[in-house]
Amino acid sequence: MAREAKKKKSSKLIALSSTNKAYEFKNPLEKRIKYQGKVVDIKLHEDPKGFSYIVWKNKKYLLDVIEKKQNRYTIMINGVWHSFSVETPVSLKRRRYLEQQVDASAAVSIEAPMPGKIIDIMVEEGGEVKEGDPIVILEAMKMQNEISSHITGIVKSISVKKNESVMKDDVLIEIQRS
Amino acid sequence: MKIKSLLIANRGEIAIRIIKTARKMGIRSYVIKTAKEPNAWYLEEADEVIDFSGKYDEVIPEFLDIERIIKSAKKHKVDAIHPGYGFLAENPDFARRCEEEKIIFVGPSSDAIYRMGHKTIAKELARKHGVPLLGGSPGAVRDAEEARKIANEIGYPVILKAAAGGGGRGMRVVNREKDIERMFTLATNEAAKAFNNPDVFLERFVREPRHIEFQILADQHGNVVHLGERECSVQRKHQKLLEESPSPALDKALRKKMGDAAVNIARSVNYYSAGTVEFLLDTDNSFSFMEMNTRIQVEHPVTEMVTGIDLIEQMILIAEGEKLPFAQKDIKLKGWAIEWRINAEDVQSGFSPSLGTIEKISWPEHENIRVDTGVRDGSVITPYFDSMIAKLIVYGDTREKALQLSSQAIRKFWITGTKTTLAFCRAVLQNSNFRKGNFNTSFLSKELKLHYHNEPDEALLAAFFATYDYAREINENEEKPLHTENGKSITPWVLKKRLR
Repeated sequence: MAREAKKKKSSKLIALSSTNKAYEFKNPLEKRIKYQGKVVDIKLHEDPKGFSYIVWKNKKYLLDVIEKKQNRYTIMINGVWHSFSVETPVSLKRRRYLEQQVDASAAVSIEAPMPGKIIDIMVEEGGEVKEGDPIVILEAMKMQNEISSHITGIVKSISVKKNESVMKDDVLIEIQRS
Repeated sequence: MKIKSLLIANRGEIAIRIIKTARKMGIRSYVIKTAKEPNAWYLEEADEVIDFSGKYDEVIPEFLDIERIIKSAKKHKVDAIHPGYGFLAENPDFARRCEEEKIIFVGPSSDAIYRMGHKTIAKELARKHGVPLLGGSPGAVRDAEEARKIANEIGYPVILKAAAGGGGRGMRVVNREKDIERMFTLATNEAAKAFNNPDVFLERFVREPRHIEFQILADQHGNVVHLGERECSVQRKHQKLLEESPSPALDKALRKKMGDAAVNIARSVNYYSAGTVEFLLDTDNSFSFMEMNTRIQVEHPVTEMVTGIDLIEQMILIAEGEKLPFAQKDIKLKGWAIEWRINAEDVQSGFSPSLGTIEKISWPEHENIRVDTGVRDGSVITPYFDSMIAKLIVYGDTREKALQLSSQAIRKFWITGTKTTLAFCRAVLQNSNFRKGNFNTSFLSKELKLHYHNEPDEALLAAFFATYDYAREINENEEKPLHTENGKSITPWVLKKRLR
């Protein structure tokens, strides 16, 4: 009984994209989706070399799971990646509610877009930064890259030091939106 | 002297490319194994492997360690060294050490490398030989203050370039006076890092030029020919992303004019071997000499496709002292070739490097498709070397046909495990101005708004698969414990492959 209820509850799923677009699927395991008013089959295949692909409207689409952590997915289709969080109707509702509660003035962190070494830090704690201002110089693959701020605000904290190596997505600095 | 053994002081696709020609010519090939990629494919293709993996030197990377390479070449009694591109290819000290030790350097003389590598000497030579140039600093710029002074004289925008540079590193465009100090520091730092020489010079920056380069072949007997041009205008931050030959911008008359200038540049240093003379072509068809690359280029295959000449073979024959087997009038450009560089980069996040393991790679076989690559299934992309993983070279009787076949080839070029620039290639092919041949070096920043292309339903399919995989996992987990690896859950999709 309990299991039946659980299955029923999880049949409808929503993939929420990083741009907040929601794709809803009634029961993904059926591999059948509603598309422009019609019900269309999605075929999943694996070729002899081991590539996974989707056949959709008689065309092959190469499929690759780049990242998967709990309900967060990065899926590459034909070389272009798409990030989603998979939600149930209940979790999506809760998520949307929580998002509304987030303080708009919270600090925003600037993360390393790639692994590398910090060559220079061009801001100071408490200093002002404008959108587009360079904040650190990150050396990766023999190139010096300017990492710039995408918001305007006050530098709240600096988490890295000069000559330090950082991993992708490491927080470099935090900026308090102004 | 006939070369019987050849040490290739390089790695990746170019090592494999050189091995192919060496094999064809009956030459024994030697390569260097490093600790950074001890399982790389090129090691298996070579006849002999010299192991540098035992001693790991943080200060001098393996492929830059002149004395160690020379010592190994002598120990193994190799006749010649081919430097490939990058690393020591344009280091005059390396060529000179080869000359001193009587090892044939498959490239030009150390003197030619030195003079062409020294931008101010090269420019002076060009001026003497009547080849047009851009205005700028006469030599290296001393400090930011001097840079400011010269820039104010010739007018913005200006470009700062590493004197010892190449390949787009150590280059910065400065649009306004207020940026010059910061950019000068960036350029000198990068130059010092990349080329062990912080010198930068400054010149006028042509806003929307085409980047056109001419392939040169010259022997040691004074014969010099050019093999036509390569169009390299599609660049990002001075890094070429694709090249074609011929260029849609050149007609016969302009090709002759620029080709003659390129031959003159080569003659000015008694050049021999393969080399490339780079020009900027302005919208009014005036052109200026930029630099000469004294090595084989990444994009050499497009020239090979339209001329039918094996450039590596010619380099080896020239190094042996042979005369060129053809004169300028024998060189015919036939058809059209395009090279698409496939880099392990995330085009959706500003082309940032995408490390990882190539799970699978495959491409369509076709008589007009050539793929030069140094990776295969399971190859690891390390942060130690550049991000290029393959070159897809497509040929057609006409540009239109080459583009058509490119679209098909790119769609069927499958790589999993890493993000690549293939999505960028698709975006370029969709662009109508590119298809018309109407583009210049500002193509990426101005013309191509989105640096990747996806078809309408691709996001939907990705979204579907995310939910499908999630639902499947929930279903499976009701019976089985969660599979984890290093604390991270792994996809049943991958697991299924591993269990097989």
